[in-house]
Amino acid sequence: LAEVAYSQSTGQREQLSRCLQRGIRRVQDLCKVLQLPTVFEETAVSYFQRAVQHPSFRLVSLEKKELLGGCCVFVTCRQHNWPLTMGTICSLLYAKQELFASVYLSLQKELELSVPALSLADLVKTHLSSFRLFQPVADIPAPFLEDKEKMVARTMQVVELASETWLVTGRHPVPIITAAAFLSWQSLQPPARLSCPLARFCKLAGIDLPPPAHLRLKELLEILLSMASRLSWLRVFNLDKKTVVKHIGDLLQHRIFLLKNAFCLEGEEEQCGKGSPGEGSPGQGSPGEGIPGQGSPAAQGRPSGGKRCHEGSPRPLLPPCLIKPRKRLRTAAPSASDSAITGDEPISDSEIEQYLRGPEEVRAFRRAKDWP
Amino acid sequence: MDQNNSLPPYAQGLASPQGAMTPGIPIFSPMMPYGTGLTPQPVQSTNSLSILEEQQRQQQQQAAAQQSTSQQATQGTSGQTPQLFHSQTLTTAPLPGTTPLYPSPMTPMTPITPATPASESSGIVPQLQNIVSTVNLGCKLDLKTIALRARNAEYNPKRFAAVIMRIREPRTTALIFSSGKMVCTGAKSEEQSRLAARKYARVVQKLGFPAKFLDFKIQNMVGSCDVKFPIRLEGLVLTHQQFSSYEPELFPGLIYRMIKPRIVLLIFVSGKVVLTGAKVRAEIYEAFENIYPILKGFRKTT
Repeated sequence: LAEVAYSQSTGQREQLSRCLQRGIRRVQDLCKVLQLPTVFEETAVSYFQRAVQHPSFRLVSLEKKELLGGCCVFVTCRQHNWPLTMGTICSLLYAKQELFASVYLSLQKELELSVPALSLADLVKTHLSSFRLFQPVADIPAPFLEDKEKMVARTMQVVELASETWLVTGRHPVPIITAAAFLSWQSLQPPARLSCPLARFCKLAGIDLPPPAHLRLKELLEILLSMASRLSWLRVFNLDKKTVVKHIGDLLQHRIFLLKNAFCLEGEEEQCGKGSPGEGSPGQGSPGEGIPGQGSPAAQGRPSGGKRCHEGSPRPLLPPCLIKPRKRLRTAAPSASDSAITGDEPISDSEIEQYLRGPEEVRAFRRAKDWP
Repeated sequence: MDQNNSLPPYAQGLASPQGAMTPGIPIFSPMMPYGTGLTPQPVQSTNSLSILEEQQRQQQQQAAAQQSTSQQATQGTSGQTPQLFHSQTLTTAPLPGTTPLYPSPMTPMTPITPATPASESSGIVPQLQNIVSTVNLGCKLDLKTIALRARNAEYNPKRFAAVIMRIREPRTTALIFSSGKMVCTGAKSEEQSRLAARKYARVVQKLGFPAKFLDFKIQNMVGSCDVKFPIRLEGLVLTHQQFSSYEPELFPGLIYRMIKPRIVLLIFVSGKVVLTGAKVRAEIYEAFENIYPILKGFRKTT
């Protein structure tokens, strides 16, 4: 007598539709591929069953139903702070990211799931695990090999710094981690690695170079340079984007102090050279600071007396989109004539007739379009 | 072409469907009379209803002036009463038939909480950016004829089954379907949207169709504003998880689904906020006043 599985003998599987069965199996396979704990699998399958029976998903295309399983796995991971990115799930499902995004957002809304934000710290660890720089490999020069623990630790600190200086909010997390990893890696052995560009680094490490990583790198370097200008023993050097990397260790060590001094917090914008956009004249000293002579505040320009903001123009600590605002696209508030519209105004014939074609024009248009 | 709704022109497109008044909306912006689509201005000049009645009053005054002096007494009194009514209307701008007790055109039947003092309200007024409205022209249309005979029309039946028509003033776009239904987008106020819809209907009329103007309705209103400080979206999604969706992998802004009023807000790190999903502009203002203290809570962070 052969063993019979419980599911077969009790007809458990027969009660589910084939689509549901297939979907559940896909969810289970995904969990196995991602090596997720078993409890995740149960949660994901239960979400999937709920979702497929929900009126808004029951009739969606098969393509979308396939993505639904992946979304449930994704949501489960996020709820357990397991750092899985959408990019990973999409590549596993061979899915278009836009379609995945729309299914995910509908799932979140319809099932009223609360999905916590992606944990950046965990993502750093996971992402760095896929870097091929920690074991000796044929095509990687010896000075490029790095200790994984050291690199993870330093990359975490750089990512934290980025987060504190508004470089992370609203941006895709992976490029920031890539840029931070690159800087950390360079700073751990500058002589050998400073000449290696970001693209080559990614190729050697065996990871994709996401396009925004270059910009993130640039922004990080700007922040580091501002901080370096506040460190007394670094001010003597004329640091630039290359040379500042050598001192990232120091900068990270003193970052709390440096952040306070390199950047004006929001409330003290008036003391800084660049006020927030739209503000009036900068350079108002705060009360209690010894600003010599009360002159005209505008003439004070960059404050010479503010205790924090001296030497150079410390910029306000703001997201990059506020520091370099793009040209205003929106027009100003509606004009008075616009505001007086009631909706009941009489409409003149001439105004309407300007939109109508005359008979010759109609004939010409008809000929051109070749309509009967 | 006249609207055949029973609502007076003033309230059209502004009131929610009959009976669906949201109770207890506080007047948080005493300078901004509801539903008039105006920057702060004296109430008298803003109300379409009052303009109509003003015209009537002027006509009556002229009529009164033309009357001989012998009838002055009676004329005077008959001229007086409408004036009293009008002046009352002018200052309080109510819907007709309701007692003008409070300056609250939107919700005359609901108890009005006193205007919150300026220090509590944000002082920022969201600006309307787009209004979407629909109207039924009440007759079948031949889209090919319209595309042939109107200059401002676009028609690609293989791509989309409607004529896309545009007018310059108010700058709007309309989608005109063969069923006679029309969608009007791009206006910056409810009145502009209605005026634009009427102009499109006139164009269709002049092209030879017996177009009417039935069931004009504002379907969606979009507003935007700037709180002028950066916002830690990661913090906001933590404390307001049930309402927020923040996925930087997908979209740089946080999507906040407010329940009361039912408005969706897009909140960006720069402090700019977009509000959408409103049927009346009061919902936009209320949603913003609800979110502003929450956003302020995320202001002072290092």
